Amino acid sequence: MKPIAVLICGLILLAGCHTPSPPPTPDPDAELIEKGRQIFFNETFEGNGRTCGTCHPAENNFAIDPTFIATLPDDDPLFVAEFNPDLKENFENTRLIRELGLITENLDGFDDLANKFTLRGVPHTLGLRFTIDSSLGPRTGWSGDGSPGDGSLRSFATGAVIQHFTKTLNRMPGVDFRLPTDDELDALEAFQFSLGRQQELTLPMPLKGTVAKRGQEIFNDLTLGKCSACHFNAGANFSPNLPFPASGNLNFNTGVEDLPDQPQDLTGELVPPDDGFGIPGDGTFNTPSLVEAADTGPFFHNNSIETIEGSVAFYNGDAFNNSAAGQLIVQATGSGINLDGTQVVQVAAFLRVINALENIRQSIELLEPVAKKHHQTVEQGLRALDLAAAETEDSIMVLSGGGLHPQAVKFLKEALRLTNKAKHSVFSKSRLAREAIEQQEKARAELVETS
Amino acid sequence: MLKLSFITTLICVLMIGAFAVQAEKATELFIPMEKSPGLSGEYTVMGKVEKVNSGAQSITMSGPSGSYTVKLTEHTFIYLDRSKAQQSNSYGTLADCEIGDLVEVKFVDNSRNKPIEWIKVQKAE
Repeated sequence: MKPIAVLICGLILLAGCHTPSPPPTPDPDAELIEKGRQIFFNETFEGNGRTCGTCHPAENNFAIDPTFIATLPDDDPLFVAEFNPDLKENFENTRLIRELGLITENLDGFDDLANKFTLRGVPHTLGLRFTIDSSLGPRTGWSGDGSPGDGSLRSFATGAVIQHFTKTLNRMPGVDFRLPTDDELDALEAFQFSLGRQQELTLPMPLKGTVAKRGQEIFNDLTLGKCSACHFNAGANFSPNLPFPASGNLNFNTGVEDLPDQPQDLTGELVPPDDGFGIPGDGTFNTPSLVEAADTGPFFHNNSIETIEGSVAFYNGDAFNNSAAGQLIVQATGSGINLDGTQVVQVAAFLRVINALENIRQSIELLEPVAKKHHQTVEQGLRALDLAAAETEDSIMVLSGGGLHPQAVKFLKEALRLTNKAKHSVFSKSRLAREAIEQQEKARAELVETS
Repeated sequence: MLKLSFITTLICVLMIGAFAVQAEKATELFIPMEKSPGLSGEYTVMGKVEKVNSGAQSITMSGPSGSYTVKLTEHTFIYLDRSKAQQSNSYGTLADCEIGDLVEVKFVDNSRNKPIEWIKVQKAE
């Protein structure tokens, strides 16, 4: 080989062999989390073909909505009721899955499958570390009673397999599915707790945008927006600063079921009322976190409102203000919630911005191992880049959808371009990931004061 | 300042939720005896039915530390566990509890001083 060719080959190899920085201290739970990830996305528990990831795909914020569902092939296990004759009736209404993203659940019992069921959206599984614990016990799922056994997140998978993974409506363990083992439940719990943010926000944040900044003020004002009473720090927990007989993630009846013209009711399909927590239900539903809200619509337990602005506006209406929770607000503050149109948009803008900030945080977290060459396999690196791209697309959508921070959107679009380029690059993945991180940080600096 | 009535109402709302705990978790029906996650082997008690008192809505069972009587309420779920017979589980009534049946009971709030939240009755067929 000629010297010049050797030199060129050497330079190419050197370009691809950027010296990695020292790897971070190993996470003692990493192995368990990875095992949980494998189970979450691949394990069917010998059932109808569904996995946890069927309804909680990583690339769509661990939730499904009609737009995502429309991208799935007809033989996706989500639609198993369309091709498994044993599940053709009384398992799922696939029209409502496709049109509205609504999944069938028999939360009030399995003794009358044709008439006794609820139709609910799929909640994401992000930030679960802060959205389950309460002084009244663990609260999982839309009404807080999603888990059998001890009601914990660890036990949730057992109930999910029975409800959603079965081959027939007999739901016989060992025949229609197998139940998760204790080791599998441990791993699934560890994986789910690892998803999303690992700490609560601290409000108020030093936001830069005029509209979002005002939205944050309204959100935290207990005489105006009154949002932070139930969504302390925009999370899922009740404010510890208010006198209260219970703490943590609580249930309330906010009157969502009383909304007029709910989409599912307009379809002509059988949609029994959802009575929430317990059997019979007490009408209450569990408080979700708002940090992750803006890119995980539609909203509320029955996907009844499509937009984040509409969701904020819900609290102005009769359905909320006449509900048990609305009346509590009236009794506590002397009035219900009554925001003007500008204020609704401002609160929504605040929710959009904190969601974008969380997307940026996650994107950087995903890009960093690639930039520092800390991912263990090529597959892991590509997966991280795919998810970083998805998070970046979300932050672009969330901000531009509210007409917010166009300069940040510009940086995020460049970050997305670099991330996608990194996916296809053989030698420059690390450099491109570093450049994408720089763009993400620039975008963040547009949204919030950074020290 | 929050009004006292608010606190009172709130306590009522939250207490409703607390009482309803005993009626949650519908998929428990299909979980075989001794397999309830986080409960079996820790908070539930296994035993054999010695006596059924339908008037008092109670069952006397032989537990690991002798016989004792557990109280049912209108909210107690009775699950007929046919998983050993490879048949589907179903809801039952107190009349389905027969002397000699193997049972697993879960107490409200996991307190043995309280009534039972659910009872699983093993049925061979």
